[in-house]
Amino acid sequence: MNNRRNRKGLTRYCLLVSIVSILLSGCWDRREVNDIAIVIAMSVDKEEDGKYRLGVQIPLVSSMGSLSGGGGGTSGNESFYVDSAVGKTLHEARAILQTRMSRILYFAHYRVVVIGSEVARSGFSKPFDIISRYPENRLTSYVVMTKGKAIDLLNAHPHFERFSGEAIRELIKAVTIPVSIKDMAQMNITPGIDTFLPVFDPVNTQPKGDSKEIEGTGIAVFRGDKLIKIYKRSEVAGIRWFQSYFNPFSFVIEMDDSGPISAMVLKGHAVVKPMIRQGRIHFDIQLYASVFIPETLSPLDFNDKSTFNEVERRLAEKITKKVDFILNESKKHRVDPTGLGLTFAKRYPKLWEQKYKKRWEKELPHITFQIHSKVQVTNIGQTTNSLMKEGL
Amino acid sequence: MGKWTEQQKTPLADRSLEVCDLIELEGVPISLELEDNTSFLERMFSDSSDFVLRKFQLKNSVHAIAIFVDGLISTNEVNEALKTLMVLEDGSDQIGVIEEALLPVSQISRVQDYKGLLQAVLSGDTGIIVEGNREALTLGIRGADTRSVNEPEGEAVVRGPREGFIENIRTNTSMVRRKLKTPRLKMKSLVVGRKSNTNIVVAFLDGVANSELVDEVTHRISRIEIDAVLESGYVESLIQDNEYSPFPQVMYTERPDTVAAALLEGRVAIFVDGSPMVLLVPTTFWMMLQASEDYYERFQMATVVRWLRYMFLLISLMTPALYVAVTTFHQHMLPTTLLLSIAAAREAIPFPAIVEALIMEIAFEALREAGVRLPKTVGQAVSILGALVVGQAAVEAGIVSAPMVIVVSITGIASFTAPHFNAAITIRLLRFPLMIIASLLGIYGILIGLLVIVGHMASLRSFGIPYLSPVAPMSVGDLKDVLIRAPWTELENRPSFLGVEQARRIGPEFLQKYHRAEEESQNKEAKERERYDE
Repeated sequence: MNNRRNRKGLTRYCLLVSIVSILLSGCWDRREVNDIAIVIAMSVDKEEDGKYRLGVQIPLVSSMGSLSGGGGGTSGNESFYVDSAVGKTLHEARAILQTRMSRILYFAHYRVVVIGSEVARSGFSKPFDIISRYPENRLTSYVVMTKGKAIDLLNAHPHFERFSGEAIRELIKAVTIPVSIKDMAQMNITPGIDTFLPVFDPVNTQPKGDSKEIEGTGIAVFRGDKLIKIYKRSEVAGIRWFQSYFNPFSFVIEMDDSGPISAMVLKGHAVVKPMIRQGRIHFDIQLYASVFIPETLSPLDFNDKSTFNEVERRLAEKITKKVDFILNESKKHRVDPTGLGLTFAKRYPKLWEQKYKKRWEKELPHITFQIHSKVQVTNIGQTTNSLMKEGL
Repeated sequence: MGKWTEQQKTPLADRSLEVCDLIELEGVPISLELEDNTSFLERMFSDSSDFVLRKFQLKNSVHAIAIFVDGLISTNEVNEALKTLMVLEDGSDQIGVIEEALLPVSQISRVQDYKGLLQAVLSGDTGIIVEGNREALTLGIRGADTRSVNEPEGEAVVRGPREGFIENIRTNTSMVRRKLKTPRLKMKSLVVGRKSNTNIVVAFLDGVANSELVDEVTHRISRIEIDAVLESGYVESLIQDNEYSPFPQVMYTERPDTVAAALLEGRVAIFVDGSPMVLLVPTTFWMMLQASEDYYERFQMATVVRWLRYMFLLISLMTPALYVAVTTFHQHMLPTTLLLSIAAAREAIPFPAIVEALIMEIAFEALREAGVRLPKTVGQAVSILGALVVGQAAVEAGIVSAPMVIVVSITGIASFTAPHFNAAITIRLLRFPLMIIASLLGIYGILIGLLVIVGHMASLRSFGIPYLSPVAPMSVGDLKDVLIRAPWTELENRPSFLGVEQARRIGPEFLQKYHRAEEESQNKEAKERERYDE
């Protein structure tokens, strides 16, 4: 008796749950993995007539080598292909692309968005609107700029990775300052810091150019959403100190007459102290770095305390110079990727709000700063003297 | 009923044998005339080739009969007993004197009616009726062949006793008695089954087990009316609280140490003759995930193993459903490279993920069933074929994808980590509806499914104890034997949610001394170190 009532209750309960769940059909968009075209990388270009060209890179999963003997169609050794379409908006371009694809374009997995120089010059906000609206998007994907057409970067064939999108992503993490869509949006809307994007270009392998590899060539700086200046690779080091995420990088210093020394900065950060000095904004910048010396072509003896100090001093000088260059450029071009304004706003919120927030761009050329660097050589390698030198 | 009472008055010779199960012979007296008894028994056991009726004379020429079932007795010992009566002892024909003075048999009892007599005889005793007596004797000289005590196959352990129950109820109760040598271990005897007359023993620790619980168990068993009880499973399903739940509400074990431990926790054990499985009530869900070895091993290890089981329980329940949901609805949840690998593997597969999953899971279940049921000689062939079906060949043929094979294998392994088979079976069963709802509604569906399952579990009760206790309803003190396996010094009390009457398990003075000794040895060590430093 009791059981029967239980069973009836349970049946009713199950029925109710299933009916309600069908009404809430939020998940009723079933699609199998083999019905979707997974977009690995995306490119946005602006055509001469003002329309946008959307390029997508899609892996050809059937030729990726699985155990399945049945095998789909093979198209040579290509592991991906790139296609693009032009439309007044990106979504229109997407719709046009879809009409020649037998699988549904699936955007939830793109790892990088490449924007071409035209888009960068004319402003990236408009084409990026769809990224915040369309549900299939990752804010953690990286954004890069390229000097030419964005789609050329997708068409490059890097050797290590199967897809150039994957190669760009790995490169971003390894050699430059990563900027995700989220970072980009934040930098774009926060007063006191200007947007910057890493620049990647397709280059030929050297010395015989038989294939296109991808290389990180610098950092592009924007005012608002428009491109202002591209720093070369050797110049971007100064920006690194102001990032929360520090990628190790190398440079060379010349010791007067003894020969060059390679230095690898393992860790670095900057402490920026804003202050008001004689009515002007002044920044007191303290740089810290720990350096590894992987190579020296000079006969210097690092066991000698004074030599060691001298090397550290030279390194500090060099680093100061690099940051100094960037800050002077910032003043010159009135764009600041290092976020000095933001530091100031945190220290003097009221003053910032009343006086500088609106006209920071105009104030920027008038700021003064002073840089002190402190370098610690933490590692000079396994031997203290060169193996090639006598006196061991 | 009226028919039976009427029959009780009729003399043996005129009795009809239409309804002649033991229960109807209640109160039917043994006749003073040996002839009546003989003809009645012969009529009743006509066409029973294993029933033996041996007529003999006592030494003083009084007629008597011995009745027994061939094969259930120990022939030599019965011969010895008959020899004393027929040859050696020159004495009385009074049954009382025979019992007390003449028969050198340790287990002997007097019965007044046919029900008692025949029940004993059919269970393997030898009955003796002497002319001119209203009572008969039953001699407990049993000698039926039984299996010897073996290592329990279903619940093997690395550390712990290696004996398992067998089909003989007396051997089984003796194995528990050997572990708990106390007069407070009570074993109530009941008989269930009109045709099978199966002996059932309800064992409990007096003073520990809640007496209401004992009464309830005894009551539920004694009200069973069924023709036969062939396995403890019959009793289980006739006394459980909710027949329609997929979850087992009565645990069974074939390990005497598990039974003893359950008795010590205040549970009640039900032995069923003819079954090597002993039932334990009340059962909670967590019992199904605990092995006796947990308490014999070091507690850290036992805790880790318990969590491993909890984890794999969830894995075996949800992995196929999650795989189906993620690959058909939530591709964005996978890392890109993994998605690409799955996409590459699934490229040539003709079926949707749910069909693929169902094919593989059903094939796996079939293999498991075949492995259990087949004769051992064929078993090897099955495992070879199985490895081909659920494996390489299926993948190469392009029928299922390699990731699916991995999912099924993980699920299979995971389902075997549950130490009790019936819990594992429930989980394996439930993953099919979960898979189907996942294929319709994705992870949302899985959550609905889990909610229904958990809700149902929370509503279950086993003999008044909520199925999920001590987790829900929460009983904080008892969690140390569920979430972890606390060291024995911390398990000083019995689980309280069972309503035990005597809580302490470890003497408080011992604990005090134990902790003091620990402290002292530490102090001593510290002092020695100091001295060494000096």
